[in-house]
This record gives sequence, structure tokens and C-alpha cells, in this order.
Amino acid sequence: MEDVAWVRSGEITEIVGRPSSGRTSLFTTCLRDVTSRGAVAALVDADQAFDPASAARAGVDLGRLLWVRCEGRRDLALRAADLLVRCPGFTLIGLDLGEAPPRLPLTLAFRLKFAVERTEAALLIVGRRRVTGGGASLVVETERDAIDWAGPGPSPTRLAGAHTATRVLRARRAPPGSPPAWWRA
Amino acid sequence: MSRFACLWVECFVAAAAERSEPALRAEPMTVLAPAPSVTRVIDANAAAREDGVRGGMTETEARARCPALVSRPFVEEHVRSARHALLEAAFGVSPRVEDGGVGLVYVDAAGLAWLHGDPVAIGRRLWSQARAVGFPGCRVALAGSRTAARVAALNATEPVTVIPPGEERAALAAAPLAVLGLAPDLAVTLEGWGVRTVGELAALPRDGLAMRLGPAGLRTHDLALGLDRDPFAAWTPPAFWDEAQGLEWEIDSLGALTVVLAAVLERLCTRLVAASLAADALEVRLELASGGHHARAVALAVPMREPKPMLALLALDLEAHPPSAAVTRATISARPVRVPAGQGGLWQPPAPRLRDLVAVLARLAVLVGPDNVGSPRLDDSHRPDAYTMLPFSPPDELGRVEGAGDAGSAPRPRGRGTTRQDPPRSDARTLVLRRVRPPRRVAVATADERPSRVDGRRVVGCAGPWRASGGWWDEEAWARDEWDVALVDGTLCRLARDLRTGQWCVDGVYD
Repeated sequence: MEDVAWVRSGEITEIVGRPSSGRTSLFTTCLRDVTSRGAVAALVDADQAFDPASAARAGVDLGRLLWVRCEGRRDLALRAADLLVRCPGFTLIGLDLGEAPPRLPLTLAFRLKFAVERTEAALLIVGRRRVTGGGASLVVETERDAIDWAGPGPSPTRLAGAHTATRVLRARRAPPGSPPAWWRA
Repeated sequence: MSRFACLWVECFVAAAAERSEPALRAEPMTVLAPAPSVTRVIDANAAAREDGVRGGMTETEARARCPALVSRPFVEEHVRSARHALLEAAFGVSPRVEDGGVGLVYVDAAGLAWLHGDPVAIGRRLWSQARAVGFPGCRVALAGSRTAARVAALNATEPVTVIPPGEERAALAAAPLAVLGLAPDLAVTLEGWGVRTVGELAALPRDGLAMRLGPAGLRTHDLALGLDRDPFAAWTPPAFWDEAQGLEWEIDSLGALTVVLAAVLERLCTRLVAASLAADALEVRLELASGGHHARAVALAVPMREPKPMLALLALDLEAHPPSAAVTRATISARPVRVPAGQGGLWQPPAPRLRDLVAVLARLAVLVGPDNVGSPRLDDSHRPDAYTMLPFSPPDELGRVEGAGDAGSAPRPRGRGTTRQDPPRSDARTLVLRRVRPPRRVAVATADERPSRVDGRRVVGCAGPWRASGGWWDEEAWARDEWDVALVDGTLCRLARDLRTGQWCVDGVYD
């Protein structure tokens, strides 16, 4: 993964942050990078919050994305992720747990960790807070800095973008790349 | 030089009934239509026809003409298996056989002289083959075309007729027009012209026939001349892709049944591999101790020939739909398909193997429902959140990236996005929306026609409106104003106001 080289294969990475902090945009960047080079990715969507139109605008090849909608049932989301991490061939498996992520038992976290080590997939978990504890190799927190508005008059008519900063909360070892310190989406 | 043989069985429906019950050949017999109100004759054997029994008569009329008449109901399976047997009989003589319809088989006899001898020997071989599978009254004719062979067979009195090359027109000249099987109105027209035989029809001027009767006249003239208008459509015998296992004991648990199914699948897949085929659908038939049957059809997402993923899919399906009683016999049928060999690109990243992917997709479908697993495809619509869930099938090669572009641009239609040669810039990030499904209603206060409070939270930034509408031509009309608002608690969301109802809702949160 070129742009998201900090996401390691065979390890668990978490992106956490408040709503509108830019965590989903960062996650979508990873999906774009994986699918645009012909690899296959999966997204387990606990809250059914994925927006295909936004993802397509971001460059995600939707044909290479397996979307699993769990309709708010987080237990199903965890079981679906557990199935996917055991299937070799998926380069990236995203697990979007939304605003109310469940507390993962330590056994499950390490079960996922050993599974991705075996299949060499990258498990990327997005949520409001950390859920895997020591199972994650890298935890990144996003925080929004500013919003850009645009428009011809005094009243803006267009949301031009948002500035996001990232902070590494946990890094078990030095990643090959670093998550972007900040960006504007 | 082309040579064709025609194998013809007269009154085939009655012959099929006789084939399944040979004792009926000794007595007049008729096959009756299954209609309960007025039972009519479909077909009759030779003995019944000698007494005047014909197709279309009522059963009462037929019995009045032939008091000793024996009747049998029409059974479609008898006719189907009889057709299959006749084709297989011909297939034993020539590898090129065409199914000409009920009771009619064409055989390409070119080159058969090396195997069977002269045309008479070929004809006798065909006749004996058909006789052996239960059609003693069949007739065989050999000619230079299928049409000529058919007319000769229908008009013949001997079991085997051979028309020498080039003499088809002369040999068929005396045959009545009825052997051509013309449409009733066309037959009446020709009869009105005084045309009674095939030779008289062949002698008519072709241009005049075309002028008066159109394409049907030309086709009829070709038949009279013994010319084939359609190409030879070779028949291929359907393969028998069943494997079964009878049990001396009853199985009442899925675990034990899986072991039996594994053995059956192993045998079936070995045959598929030997024939370079794969299966794209399986059908399991279980005989139950209660005397009933339990049948399940499992469609495979991709053709496969490995027993392990097939067994997993069958087990999942039987787990969801278990048999109602203990199992005494298991049969598995496969629908074979030919899968072209292929390999991934040299620079193609690894993808899930098909058998792994199929098994995972099946398990996910059981877990979250089949409608919730797939790959989204954007619909060609401006309606918000318009997409369709398709079965997940990643393309083999790198294709176009759908709708890649900058933030704020409208979604592009599929196929017009950037390609691998034109990848999205690595620093081009798009602010992504997290959808709220279904959109959540909110109370919005406005100031100067712009949102000022959302559910009591103050709006600190606002852009819009973006007006959109559609579907006004049918009952699903929609019209809305969209606003991007930043709330005091840091939430950046998209609001939508329905212009028809005036209600506000949250479409999603930018994240």
C-alpha cells in the first residue's frame, strides 16, 4: 500500500476518533489504495453507514469491495470479520464499528490477531474508541482541525474541505511508513 | 458427397407406449389424452388403425369402431425416454445424429461405408439398432439430403429404402403431398391447383410459386426438390452426472450424513475432473425412512470441481433446511459446465481462491442474510443513496475505477472514472459521508432561510442549499434542498429538507 504503508499486512490497525474527525475518510483512503491496484478488500459495516457514492468519488473500486452490512448488530459484525480474516486473499478487511463499538474480549482480539497473521491480511478497525487493546499493532487517533467553506458571496455555498490531524496512540513497533500527520479532505 | 439416413417411427406416441408395455403390440391399442371431460385419442397402433381408429377421435367413437380396443393414458416420460432411446440407437451407428422431432432421427451417413459397408448395410444396421431398443416398426431411408430421406422413409413400404445419388427427384415424384407435412391452408391451396404429388409440385415454376405463395411457397418447392434449407444440428447425448449411495442404516444426524455426502461428492468430482468439467449447481435428493423425499438444489456461485467446498455448501444448506425424517439413500446430481482454463495477470495482486470465496460468501449470507452481502454499484440516478447490491465477483483484471475525482464533484457514471493508467492522486482525499439509514428526522430552526439550530444545537457553519429533484414523472417524485452544516459540538453533517413536506432530516455525517 503506497499511500497507507503504515497499515501493515498481517496486523491489526485501529483508527479511532470522534464523529467528523476524519477517521472514515482516512479509512476510505486505505480502501482506495488497495482496490485501485487490483487487490480485493472487504468492509464489515456494523451500522450500515458506508456511502458508496462518497467512496466512489474517493477512488474506491467498488467492484473489488465486498460490503457486509450488519444492520446495527455488532455481534454479527464481529463474527463476519472473524470469517473474513480466515479467508486468504483479502488484502484489507475493514471493520467499521461506528459510534458504539462493543468491548472485545481479549481472547477474541488475539484470535483475530493470530488469524490475520496467518492469512497476512490487514485488519483495519474504525470506531469511536479502541476495542482490541493489546491486539492492535498500531492505533491512530484522528482529530479535526478546521473546516474550509467556499462560495462567491459572504454566505458560503459549498463545503470545500476539512483539515484533520492524526496522533499515534500505540505503535507496537515502528511502522514502515507513518500515518499522515495531518491532511485536508 | 453427402449422404443422410432418416430413421422414422410411425405413430411414435403409440410406439412409445408399446415399448414400455410390449404385450400391447398384439392387440389394438390407443393412447388417450389426459383431459377428464372428453377423452380423445392421441395416437393408435397399427392394429387399431386397421379398424379405423384415428387421432382426434373421442374414446367412445374409437371403441365403437374397435370394440377390443385397449387404451392407455398419455405419459410424457414414456415419449421422452423413447425419443432418447431412438437417438441413442442411431448414435450407435453414426457419431453425427440430429433430432428431427418426435419419431424422426437424421443420421449423417457420410463415411459410414468404411464401418458398415454399402448403403443397404448401413440402413439395415440402423433398422436393427432401432428394433433392438423397442421400435420394430421403424423405417429407414438413405438419400442425398435429409428432406429426401425423410420423404422416402414416410412413403416407403419396406424397412430399408436406398435412393441412389442424383435420383432423389425421380424417386420421390410419385409420393403424395401429405408426406411433406405442409400447413393445412397451403395443402388446400395446392390441392385446389390440382397438385397431388411431390413430383407435380417440383415441376411448378419457382418464380410463380414465389409470386403467389411467398416464402412459404419457396420452402415448399425446396421440400419437393429434396433440398435441405437448415444446417445439420448434431445431437449430443446428455451426460449422466448422478452419484448415489444407498444406506443399510438410517441416518438422523447431519454430521453422519455429511460423511456419506462427502463420499458421493468425491466420486462425482472425480468424474467431473476426468471429463475436464466443473459443476455450477448441485441437487441433493434424500430418500427418507418415512417414505418421502427431501430434495435441495444448491446453486454454486462459481463452477467448481473440488468436493470440499461443495460439501461445505451442501452442509450449510441442509443445516438451514434439514430433512424431516431419517435418511436412507442420498443422491447428488451435478449440472456440468465447461470452464475455460485461465490464470491471473503477472502483476495482479493475490485474490481469494474461488472455492474459499464461495464458502465464505455462503457463510456470510447465512450470518447476515443474502441481501446484505455483495458489492455496491451506483445507480444511474441523482436520487440520494441510490445504489444496487450485486453479488460479489471481483473482476479478473484491473479495470476502471468508478467515479474517482475530487471532493464535491458529482458521482460519475460507471466506466468513466480514472483507470489504472490514470490513478487518483495519492494526496487527493475526499471528505467521506457516513450515511444515516434511514435518514433521521431532526428539528431545525432557521434564520434568514438558513439553518441556525439543529435539535437545539447551534449551527456554527453552513453551506447551501444544493437543490435536487427527480422522479417527477412517476409516483416516486422527490425534491430536496441539501445543506452542509457544522454544529457547535464539532459534528459536520448533511441536512436535507424535503421540499414537498418541509421536513428536515440528517442524511449523514461527514467523517
